[in-house]
Amino acid sequence: MIEITNVQKGFPGNSRAIEDLSLTIPDGKIVGFLGPNGAGKSTTIKMMTGILPIDKGSITLNGIPIDKNSIEAKKTFGYVPDQPDMFLRLKGIEYLNFIGDIYNVPQTIRQERIDTLTKQFQIHTSLQDYIQTYSHGMRQKIIVTGVLLHDPSIWILDEPLTGLDPKSAYTLKDMMRQHADKGNTVFFSSHGLEVVEQLCDMVAIINKGKLLFYGDMKQLHEEYQTDQSLEAVFLELTNDE
Amino acid sequence: MMNKTWLLVKIILKMQYSKAGANHSQIWLLVPIILFSIPFLYLYITITNATVSALYQTLQSVGQESVILGLLFIGLHTILFIMSLVTILNAFFFTEDIKSFIPFPFQPYQLILGKSANPFIYLYITSGFLFIPWFYAYGNVSEAPIHYYLQGVPIFLLVPMVPFTLAAIILMVAMRFINISKNKDRSKVITGILTLAFIIFINVIVRLNTDSQAMLQRLTYLLKEKDGLLIKITNYYPPAFLQTKALTDASTWEGFIYFLMTVVLAVGCFMLFLWIGQRFYIKGMLGSGGVGRKLTLPKKKSAKNVKKQAVWLSYIKTELRIIFRTPTFLMQCVIQSLFGPVFLLIIFIMDSGTQGLATLMNNFSEKQSILVLFLASVVLIGSNATAISSVSRDGKNWFVQFYFPLSMKQILLYKISTAWIINLITITLLLIVGIGLLQLPLTYSLIWLLLMLVANWFTSMLGTYLDFIQPKLNWTDEQEVFKSRLIGLTAICITFGIFGALVLILWNTSILSFILTVFSLLLGLIIAIITIGILFRLKLRQTNSL
Repeated sequence: MIEITNVQKGFPGNSRAIEDLSLTIPDGKIVGFLGPNGAGKSTTIKMMTGILPIDKGSITLNGIPIDKNSIEAKKTFGYVPDQPDMFLRLKGIEYLNFIGDIYNVPQTIRQERIDTLTKQFQIHTSLQDYIQTYSHGMRQKIIVTGVLLHDPSIWILDEPLTGLDPKSAYTLKDMMRQHADKGNTVFFSSHGLEVVEQLCDMVAIINKGKLLFYGDMKQLHEEYQTDQSLEAVFLELTNDE
Repeated sequence: MMNKTWLLVKIILKMQYSKAGANHSQIWLLVPIILFSIPFLYLYITITNATVSALYQTLQSVGQESVILGLLFIGLHTILFIMSLVTILNAFFFTEDIKSFIPFPFQPYQLILGKSANPFIYLYITSGFLFIPWFYAYGNVSEAPIHYYLQGVPIFLLVPMVPFTLAAIILMVAMRFINISKNKDRSKVITGILTLAFIIFINVIVRLNTDSQAMLQRLTYLLKEKDGLLIKITNYYPPAFLQTKALTDASTWEGFIYFLMTVVLAVGCFMLFLWIGQRFYIKGMLGSGGVGRKLTLPKKKSAKNVKKQAVWLSYIKTELRIIFRTPTFLMQCVIQSLFGPVFLLIIFIMDSGTQGLATLMNNFSEKQSILVLFLASVVLIGSNATAISSVSRDGKNWFVQFYFPLSMKQILLYKISTAWIINLITITLLLIVGIGLLQLPLTYSLIWLLLMLVANWFTSMLGTYLDFIQPKLNWTDEQEVFKSRLIGLTAICITFGIFGALVLILWNTSILSFILTVFSLLLGLIIAIITIGILFRLKLRQTNSL
């Protein structure tokens, strides 16, 4: 479970990038995080993952505060950043070993997961190649594989489906569903409204650092007394005019 | 067409010198540097004036004064040619930003003009630094007419054209056939090493050709002819001859004709460069997307490659892999650190044979010589680029460290260890030189080694600390991690400042024995290490990332 309580964050020139944000992401659910560009999605995710410090409020992951006990909190989640261009000079297998060492994944489990995951993502024959030679989608897949290697209970994914081919996107969505069904937490940001509508149990919509809506699809339709699609509600909610 | 070219030049320069993400406090560091350089500039100009004036007095009596400018132009063209080779390779072929311009409707010649802007800035700065004082001193001492100065300005502007176009043409034609696209990483390293080897080679040649009897005999023969020396030194390189004659004979029609020939030659060369660029540049460039060859091993082998290691070992190995596999990092962090000891060695051997240092050491007491060796080696390892790029090397991926379950203290410790390990290469090399070639006593070498291992930890910590408090993360090309940053200089200044002072005090404290001196150096190092440790803690506490 992720608990975000009265979180505030400011930057020079934008003192209220995130304003009093409170959000509880329960176990066993997939929660989609929506918002236009610059709404504060990435800032929120960066605070959740310890990349950015929190100005006010608190964020806990499985009850562990990220700002006070960051190392323990970081062991509980796996994070897929929006930009998969990292460790390009390493071979796929070297990257996975590196991640395995950092998260202390035992050898036999590591071997088994690498085999299963890379076969599912169809990158097992490219593990001896440098990540630099991978396509965008393959880089995304190796990062996702790295994240799943230590089997974290919380998944935080920033635009995880961008660049994936239909089969791999399907595989990842299926994995997300299975992970949540086992009682774990999946939180992901996306611009693909159809994916969110189809996959998520709950939706959080944010704009200009403020939470505009948080609930399931049924609540969304009730609150806005409409049978409109998520796209129409999203556009209406985030319309600044 | 010219508008578009100008637009391209402006945008490329804007990207190169962008202050985006830069820390403005760094600008303040420029103030002491400018202040320090004023006396240096004064000294430089005075020495140039004295040299030119002395040469003029001697050579004018035998009608050979033109060689003074001849030497200037030959030297200038050589330096600018070497500089052009390096800057053109980087700007034309290795920087990644060219990829973003290729899809736009630009002619190849426009692209190369755009890409030439930055190398030209470097060439003009170098050229100005060397040309202006020498040119002015010659004009002054020879009481040159106004034509000399009038023709001097356009000649100054034309000087870099010929060496630049020569280097560019050679490289563009070579690249067309070498096909760097297939071996981009490798060719980056090879050209880097070749450039260093070339500098060493020139050094050896210069040292081999000095002070020989045969040269003196030839000189006397040449002195009998007017401009004989000038003709001799510019024999194989007419542009320098033309430029010299255009200035020395500035007041005559002949001089004006030489000036016109200089202009025609420079413009002609530049046109040829554009024409060759139009034909070869894009063809040499295409496909150089930084993609290496694919290595796919049989499936069975992949199982063997999965192995568990301690976090520290895994982290340090990853850092080392990235340094050794990224050509720019390999050049700056590893190969250039070998360059220092090799270069020093050549100077010693060429100048005074292997006995050089040994003889030098005989003039000092045991205590004094360990102090000298210590200071020289500490500055040499302090100039290694690994530590000062510890954080910046990660670039935009630095944030990745924040979501790993590792404390910042751990990460910094691993990064310092990486720099320490890389510096071991330089230390080992120096040790081999010391024991093998200079026959330093074994116990003496071991004491030096102990001091260096500790000093290495200090310089690695200092560099990492400086980079940690002011990292350069927003780079698009790895070169930017090392270019236009004062951090390397700051690290050397601090190291030299602290240990220079310590060595000076110990040198003058005659009551201290050899052992006590070594002990004092160790104590100094340990205090310096603890101080940096405290600074690290304070910074980490300030950023709440302890």
